[in-house]
Amino acid sequence: MTPSPKILSSRKSPTADDLRKGFSREAEALCLFSPSQYIVKLFVATLVWYLSFVACGGAQEPPKNSYADELIIQASHLKLSEEREWRLLLHYRANLFEGYTSEQDEPGFFMSPEGKTDPAAELAATLRQFFSTELVGRSKQPAQCAFVARYHWLKDRLSFDDTKLPPVQCERFDRWFAEFDTEAISLIFPSAFMNNPASMFGHTFLRLDQRGQTEQTRILAYTINFAADVPQGRNLDFAIRGIFGGYRGYFSTVPYYIKVLEYRDIENRDIWEYRLTFTQDQIRRLLMHAWEMGNASFDYFFFKENCSYHLLALLEYADPALHLTDQFLFWTVPADTVRLITKQPGLVGDIAYRPSRGTLIRRKREYLSPPEQALVRRFVGDVSLVRSSEELRSLPVNRQAFVLDVVSDYLRYKGESDKSEQSPYREQNRTVLAARSSLRIPSEDLVIRPFAKQPEIGHSTSRASLGGGWRNDDTFEELTVRVGYHDLLDPEPGYTPGAQIEIGSVSLRHYNRADQTRVERATVLNILSLSPIDSLFMAPSWKVNLGMQTIRYGGCQLCSNWNFNTGVGASAETNLLRREVYFAFAEADANYSQAFDESHRIGGGGTAGMLADLTERWRILLSTSYLRYALGDKSDDFRWSVGQRYTLAQNWALRLEYNHRDHDNDVLFTVQAFF
Amino acid sequence: MLRQVMVLAGALVVATNAGLAFAANPDTGPGCGLGKLAWADFKNQKNIGPQVLMATTNGTFASGTFGISSGTSGCTNDGQVWADQKVTMFALLNFENLTQEMAQGKGEHLVSLASLMGVPEDQHGAFLAMAQERYTSLMQAGENSSSALVKALNDAIAKNPVLAQVSYR
Repeated sequence: MTPSPKILSSRKSPTADDLRKGFSREAEALCLFSPSQYIVKLFVATLVWYLSFVACGGAQEPPKNSYADELIIQASHLKLSEEREWRLLLHYRANLFEGYTSEQDEPGFFMSPEGKTDPAAELAATLRQFFSTELVGRSKQPAQCAFVARYHWLKDRLSFDDTKLPPVQCERFDRWFAEFDTEAISLIFPSAFMNNPASMFGHTFLRLDQRGQTEQTRILAYTINFAADVPQGRNLDFAIRGIFGGYRGYFSTVPYYIKVLEYRDIENRDIWEYRLTFTQDQIRRLLMHAWEMGNASFDYFFFKENCSYHLLALLEYADPALHLTDQFLFWTVPADTVRLITKQPGLVGDIAYRPSRGTLIRRKREYLSPPEQALVRRFVGDVSLVRSSEELRSLPVNRQAFVLDVVSDYLRYKGESDKSEQSPYREQNRTVLAARSSLRIPSEDLVIRPFAKQPEIGHSTSRASLGGGWRNDDTFEELTVRVGYHDLLDPEPGYTPGAQIEIGSVSLRHYNRADQTRVERATVLNILSLSPIDSLFMAPSWKVNLGMQTIRYGGCQLCSNWNFNTGVGASAETNLLRREVYFAFAEADANYSQAFDESHRIGGGGTAGMLADLTERWRILLSTSYLRYALGDKSDDFRWSVGQRYTLAQNWALRLEYNHRDHDNDVLFTVQAFF
Repeated sequence: MLRQVMVLAGALVVATNAGLAFAANPDTGPGCGLGKLAWADFKNQKNIGPQVLMATTNGTFASGTFGISSGTSGCTNDGQVWADQKVTMFALLNFENLTQEMAQGKGEHLVSLASLMGVPEDQHGAFLAMAQERYTSLMQAGENSSSALVKALNDAIAKNPVLAQVSYR
C-alpha cells in the first residue's frame, strides 16, 4: 500500500502538534519523530525507527503512537472529517467559497492549532490526544473526557481497541450524567418581554426532565442554557456589543426554578414547554456534547448566533437527521426556532403552558363576582382590612381563600414590577398571607388559559407585500419587504397582544402617471407597546419610530421625509364584540425633508385610535394624529388612517389601508406573505 | 432577610472587597457563593432572593457557578448544586413563592421543597397542611434565614403525628 501524500502529511503534522503540547518523555517524542526521518533517509531511518521502537518500550507495552497513526490513517480513508457528525461536534460551518470554519471561538476547544479551519487536522490531533492523559480544555480533563462525545463517536466509527489506549475514567462526566438522570428533554420558550430590548423576541433553552419528577416537582429539573456573559454594571455599549459579537456566550445548567423565577415571576412572561421525543440514546448524545460545551465559548451575536441558534446545534447532534441551524442565514428569532422544531415530524410530544403572574391574575379575576372584585380592589388599597372585613367573612370559606389568593398574587406582581416599593408590598403580602393561612383550606385547582396563543401557530417573522392603489390623481403598484417582526395589524395568534416591533422594512412604489419609481417608505425601527389599563394594571403604553415616508407638502408632490417619533400614553380594553383596544399618546415628532423651510420641522402633539377584532380573521385599526411644529417649518399636521387586515392562512393576509393627510389621500391594497 | 444573608455568608471574607472578588472569581470557596454575593452587593436590600437571582442568571455568575464542567464552586460541582446545598439554596431563592404557598396549603415550590427534603410523595398532602397550619412560626424562622426555615420545617415534621411516622432521608 502506498500512502498518499495526504496521509503522510497528516502523520507529520500531529507529530509537531504533540511536540508543541510538550510530551514529557523524550523517548516518546523520539518515537514520534521517526517516521519523518524515514521519508528523508529511507534506509538509515528504517533502522533508527526500528531501534527507537524497541527503545520506546516495545518490551513493556504496545507502541501507543503507532496505533494512533493507524487510527488516523483509517479515519482519513473513511473521510470521517467530512462527515456531518464531525462538523456538528466541532461546530464547523461551510465558508462562503470553500473550506470550513468553526463558530466556536475558544482555542482550547481545538486539539490542533489549525482546528478552527481544518476539520481533518483537528480530527487527527483529537485522535492523537486520546493517547495522552494530559489535561486539556477549560474543563481541565484528559481529552477522552473533555471531549467525550468526540471520543465515543470516533470510537464507534473506528472500532477502537480500548486496550491500546491509556485507560481513563471519566468520573466527572459519569457523575454529572447520572445526577441529571434525564428521562426526556424539553424545549422551553419564555415569550417576548417588551420592556427589555434583549428579550423582545423571546428566548429558548432546554430542560432536562429527571426521571421520577412530577409536574409538581418539575421546577427542580436542570436546564441547558446558552447566554452571553455580560459583566455587571453594563453600560450603553451593551446593545452594540451584544449585537456585534462583543460578548462571549457560554453554556450553563441553571436550575429550572431559577429560570421560572426570572421569566415568570420577575419579568412576567408566559412560558411554553415542548417535550421532545428523543430516545435515551439521543439524550445521551446530547448530554455528551453539552459536556464538551463546557470547554467552548462563542462570540455572541444577538440576531444570529444567539441563545436559540446554539441550542439547535445541540439538538442536531442528538439526532443528526435534523437540519436546523442551516435554516437560519441572517438571524435566528427564538419563536422561529420553536416553529421549526414543532414542524419536524414526531419531534414534539406534550406541550405545557406556564402562565405569567399577570396572566394568572387576569384569568383568576374572570372567576370573581363583582362584589368579590370590589373586595379585591379594596384590599389592594388597604391590606389591613383583610383582618376585620365582615364582607370577606360573609363569603364561603373557599371564596374567601380565592379572594385573598388574588390579592396576594397582585401584591407579588406589584412588588416585582415596582422595585422601589418592593419591601412595602412584601409586608402587605405577609398580612394577606397570615389571614389566608388561618382559613386552613388548600387553594383549588384552576385551569389558566393563555391570552397569547402558542408561538408555533404564529406567522413567520419576515413579510413580503405586493399590491397597488391610488394616491391623489395617480395610481401605483407597490412591493414591501420587512425583515421582522410583527405589527398591530398582523395576524395575532402566537404573538403578544399589543406588542408591535417592526425592523428593517422598505417599500418600493411605481407611480404610473408620474412614471416614477421610488422608495415610498422605509422603517428602521418601529416599536409600539399597548398595555391596557384597568383597576389593577396600570402600565403605560409607549411607542418609538424611526423611518421615512413620502409626503406631499407645499409645492413638493412626492418628497422623502425622515421622521423620528416617540410617545407615551395609555390604553384600555373592552370586549363588546370580541376585543377592542383604545389608545392615546402624547408624542414628540421630528422631521427632515427638503419640502420644509429650513429642511426640518420639530414639534409635538397627540395620537388617538382604536383597534378592534370584528371576526377571528378580520381586524380594523383606526388612528388619528394632530401635531404642531414650533421649530423649523412652523406648521401643523392633521392626519388619520383606517387599516384593515383579513387573515387567509397562518402565513397569508390581505390588507386595505387608507391614509389621509392635508390634500393627500392614499389607498393601498396588498397581499401579504410571511416567510 | 438581612440576617438570613449574614448567616449564609457565614465565615466568608469581609464585605468590603467581596464584590470585586466575586466579579473576578465566581468560585467563592466555603459556604455557598450565593450568600456572599448577596452580602456583597445587596446588604441594604430586604428582598435578597430575586436580587441574587438576577445576578445568577445574567452575569458572570451563570457561567461561573452553573457553567458546564466548570469545576467546583461553593454552590456547585461542575454546574450542579452540591447535595448539601440543594435544600437551602432552593429555600433561599424561592422564599417568596414558598411563603405564599405555605399560606395557601398548595403549590409546586412547596411540593418541590418537600421532595428535596425527602418527604415521600404520599405524604406531600400532610406536609402542605402542616406548613399552612404552622405558617406563622415557619415564617418567623424563614425571615431569619432559609436554613432556619428548613430546620423549622424539619422540627415541625418531627412533631407532626402523620409525618413523624415516616422515616425519610
